[in-house]
Amino acid sequence: MKMLPQLILALVTFQQHSPTYKKTKQFFYNLLEDPDSRLKSRFDKVMIASVLLSVFLLIDEVDKPASSFERWFEHLLIALFILEYVLRAWLYNDVHHIILSHHAKALYLNRPMQWGKVIKMIIAKKIEYMLTPLALIDLLAILPSFRSITLLRALLIFRLLKLFRYFKSLRLFAEVLESKQFELYTLVVFLSFLIFIGSVGIYFFEHPTNSQQVSDLFDAVYWSIITVTSVGYGDIAPQTTGGRLVAIGLILTGFGVLSFLISIIVSAVNDKMHDLRENSIYAELQRYKSFVIICGFGRVGQHIAKQLEKHNQHFIIIDNNEINAMNARRLGYLVIHADASKNEVLINAGIKQKASAVLCTTGDDVVNVYITLTSRYLNSSIRIISRANHPQNVKKLYQAGADNVIQPFEIAALVVAQYIGKPVAFEAILGVIREEKQFIMETLSVSAGSMIDGITIASLDFERRKLMLIGVVSANPAHRKHKNSYALKNQHFYFKPPAFFLLQPGDLLVVLGREIGITYFREQLKNSTPKESKR
Amino acid sequence: MKRIAVFGYSIMSLEVIKQLNEEQYSYVFIVNDEAEALLVAEQGFDTKIIDFRNDEAIKSVGIGENIDILFCFYPKDSDNVFLTISARALDNELTIIAIVDDPESAEKLLAAGANKIIDPYEICGRKTHDMLAKPDITDVLDNTVFGRHDLHIAQIEIPKNSALEQTETGALLLAGTYNLILIGVVDKVSGGTLHFVIDEKEHTLNSGDVLVVLGPARDIKAFKEEIEAVTSA
Repeated sequence: MKMLPQLILALVTFQQHSPTYKKTKQFFYNLLEDPDSRLKSRFDKVMIASVLLSVFLLIDEVDKPASSFERWFEHLLIALFILEYVLRAWLYNDVHHIILSHHAKALYLNRPMQWGKVIKMIIAKKIEYMLTPLALIDLLAILPSFRSITLLRALLIFRLLKLFRYFKSLRLFAEVLESKQFELYTLVVFLSFLIFIGSVGIYFFEHPTNSQQVSDLFDAVYWSIITVTSVGYGDIAPQTTGGRLVAIGLILTGFGVLSFLISIIVSAVNDKMHDLRENSIYAELQRYKSFVIICGFGRVGQHIAKQLEKHNQHFIIIDNNEINAMNARRLGYLVIHADASKNEVLINAGIKQKASAVLCTTGDDVVNVYITLTSRYLNSSIRIISRANHPQNVKKLYQAGADNVIQPFEIAALVVAQYIGKPVAFEAILGVIREEKQFIMETLSVSAGSMIDGITIASLDFERRKLMLIGVVSANPAHRKHKNSYALKNQHFYFKPPAFFLLQPGDLLVVLGREIGITYFREQLKNSTPKESKR
Repeated sequence: MKRIAVFGYSIMSLEVIKQLNEEQYSYVFIVNDEAEALLVAEQGFDTKIIDFRNDEAIKSVGIGENIDILFCFYPKDSDNVFLTISARALDNELTIIAIVDDPESAEKLLAAGANKIIDPYEICGRKTHDMLAKPDITDVLDNTVFGRHDLHIAQIEIPKNSALEQTETGALLLAGTYNLILIGVVDKVSGGTLHFVIDEKEHTLNSGDVLVVLGPARDIKAFKEEIEAVTSA
């Protein structure tokens, strides 16, 4: 008998540490529960189709015997429903956590494990799951297939309710109703009160003289509901003056109640629309491998968005200004209409996950500093480029954590200055940077062990490769002896390095050439790099 | 020394002047009122308070006479268009550079006769994208060619009767005596397009062609002098 607890403990410890177990559970979580996973969205579609088909088949069977295909399909579907139900119950919580935490407590207190209590807790947790509305629907959806219980066929409707699980918009409607719980509750109380008064009134006035129509209190309640909702079938009609007065009162108040109900639902849906739109944006972002966050869709933000769009890069715009947000939406961009300096907004936008850079481009330096600081606090390694409108704020932006600071007027002034002295040369280099010409400038890194690691510039023979070496960027102190070095942030740029310049791992070659030539050379370098250093 | 007339006092106009080489240019600042005149004078520039709507006043600054370059840096596009039209009527050879606020005004300014339109926001947007797309390259260029370091991109025109005429670009490449990199040649004959020297096609230099080179100022200067010396010989 002592063996069993030992065995269970060994099993749960295995579960706790087994990566396969964790992976399997994660897979089923993605399949069934994770609202952002693609797997779940596919699974939901399959389930919607199966549920609808099964309901049609069950309706078809009402007045004729089921064909073998129908029976076979029904069995398969029920098996799937049961499996889904069990899997969801399994995913609801981790049983091994309960056992292990109790075991740890027992060890600490040096007393025997209370298995009864543990089992009770496990069962309580699972029952808690079984009593959740969606789990109840799941269970009820399985029951109609047990044909022997004819009453249960009425529960077929629950199978349709199961669609709630798979349709996001249906679930949203349920959420809308939930958010207006208080208003709806008030309305239900008032309505019940109204129906109660109406029923008693009509019974009191009509039953003595018109007992054929209002034979009991149920008839009275039925008439009140039909009247208050302004349906009015007319199968029961008041004959006495008192009964008619009750009807008038009920109809007039019924209008009020109905319009109140509609206004509650409309306003709740309206409130949710904003969330719904935002959710669809987050779902879209989840699909991208990486994207850029643009904070502020003013003049600069618009031009950046245009450039990113031109180069097929993904981005999300956050702007607090209604007009700016609308402009961006009109252009078909993904927009969050919110304050980008709020932690929650940036986190929702994915600053801790797939975002590769944050651009602070509002026209207000104070806001830019604040967003920069917030972004840096939320993600210490993300690239942040900020706009400074006044030169005195450049330093503050760097202090706040920006990697680069751009000043629109300084950059524009540089363009003017360069244009005056040497328009052709300047346009040429800009064209190269922007890849408008056939020639581009790129960097190639020297990986340890690759074919160019430890060799001289001369033996690389750039001319044969139809590439031009402009210089080498390196932090390696071994290169310091060379002339023509220009200090960058924490490394040096060696312009036109001499033929005997010895390349070291980590060096960056700045080359000019046709894209095809550079790509080919990059491939060669990659293939020659040993696998360990590629990682 | 070239003379520049700057219309409109702003961060932008001061920045441009900061970027330009003091020895090569002299300036006259046209401002709106006494207070601005005082501010600009403090920085050590000539100032004039005139109404740009008046042709006579513009002439008095020297447009049509000794002004080579005009900066139209007023915040309003309409003012810049008016100034451009007035100045172009007075001087056909003038280099007019105008900033634009609304992108739609760019074409109007070009039609009015401006040589170069500057949209600070557009430039800033492009620059941010360059930084994102090619951080290493922009970092190198910003710190060297566009920065304070002594590495420049320059254009050198081949004068008439130069010894370099009829030389192949390939031959120039091999001449490693200068600490320069020849990026390309702008061919006068083929309509000013830039030919990169690493391209397979050899290009024969003619007078009027422009060499685009990269290197320290000292070497660029030496190379320029040599080319001119060869001509006069």
